[in-house]
Amino acid sequence: MYMALNLILATEAVTPTAEESGGIDLLLPAPEELIAGLIAFSIIFLVVWKFALPTLKATLQQRQDAVKSELESAEKSKQEAATLLADYKAQVAGARKEAAQIVADAREQGEAVKADIIARAEAEADQIKARAHEEVLAERERVAGDLRRQVAELSIDVAEKVVTSSLDAEAQRVLVDRYIEELGGVR
Amino acid sequence: MELILATAACDPSVDIICAPANVNELFEFREAIFTIAGFPVTRTVILILSIALIVSAFLFFGLRKKSIVPTKFQAAVEAIILFVRDGVAKEIIGEHGAKYAPWLLSIFLFILVGNMFEVTPFINFPVTSRMALPVLLAVITWVVFVFAGIKRQGFGYFLGIIWPSTVPIFLRPLVGLIEFFSILILRPLTLAIRLFANLVAGHLMLVLLIVSGWVFISSVGDIGARAGIGVAWFVMGLGIFVFELVVIVLQAYIFTLLSAVYVQTSLYPEH
Repeated sequence: MYMALNLILATEAVTPTAEESGGIDLLLPAPEELIAGLIAFSIIFLVVWKFALPTLKATLQQRQDAVKSELESAEKSKQEAATLLADYKAQVAGARKEAAQIVADAREQGEAVKADIIARAEAEADQIKARAHEEVLAERERVAGDLRRQVAELSIDVAEKVVTSSLDAEAQRVLVDRYIEELGGVR
Repeated sequence: MELILATAACDPSVDIICAPANVNELFEFREAIFTIAGFPVTRTVILILSIALIVSAFLFFGLRKKSIVPTKFQAAVEAIILFVRDGVAKEIIGEHGAKYAPWLLSIFLFILVGNMFEVTPFINFPVTSRMALPVLLAVITWVVFVFAGIKRQGFGYFLGIIWPSTVPIFLRPLVGLIEFFSILILRPLTLAIRLFANLVAGHLMLVLLIVSGWVFISSVGDIGARAGIGVAWFVMGLGIFVFELVVIVLQAYIFTLLSAVYVQTSLYPEH
């Protein structure tokens, strides 16, 4: 090493001093450095032993606890959400069922009302028909009565005329024709 | 520049650079800046003590908030601690690993910051390249793994090393001798030298390339176009700089990892 340095420094003609203690000095520990090293190592050991490792252990424990509790609360929230979702689903299903029920009820009611209206209309129609029928019958009865009375009166008239006038063939034929004509007029 | 190579007596107005007389001078700052009760406080001592300050501040500001959602800095600090606690201590040692986490984490952070000084501007000196620190840490590791073995197996720990029962009986004295040297002597030695040598080599390479670059470029008046070589040295120096960042982290990791492995083999010799 010394040689190499000299080689490089040769241009400068630096003359090395004569004292050469040899490399062995390098291998012997200097007492003051040994003591300083022992002091420094003791300090480091104490700091590591009493501060660094326990502190790190506590920090890691704390971190682990935090992560654990976070996970637990997340799990809890998840469960709550699931319960809530199930509740909502049940509610929605209930509501849907109820709506369907309402629609079905309304439809049923509608049908009933419809049937009722139809039945009532039919009944009313029947009633009207029956009344009309009765009225017709009554009218017919009255007309028949009238007719009968007129026929009777006519008969009486005819009888009177027969009695009062001569009853020749011509006269009879005219009489009958008139009678028939009168009858036709009655109708 | 003068800070690194300040030791040689020379005249900066004449010489481009004050060349060190000896390679040790790139690493030794033994002049006391001041003394406390006879204890010399050198630049290296201040740097070593500042490791404790930096690591403590790093841990304190990184962890004090204890936020559930961490800031980027907090996350980084936590990642480093967990890397050593879970990735090294628990992973290598096993069920008793957490007990050794404070020691392993201290080693890792101490070496990491000590190494980082190599590439820290205005410091540019890895204090872990001073043999005192690798030796200190290796001795601590040695004590920890030997005591872990004794606590677990009693004195059977040593017996297991020098009289390994899994080996054919006629080989036991030989293997036992090898194991004894390997575990109780070579382990701490290699641990210390590996860290030391890596940081020494890295520091030397950086000093060499950047100082060479500086010498060539500032001699442009004397050597003309040839001063361009200095640019190449600088570029290479920057490449090594990035490479050293990897070495810095890797060496801190390797030291920590091997310490954990040694404790593991003391606790569970059958593995």
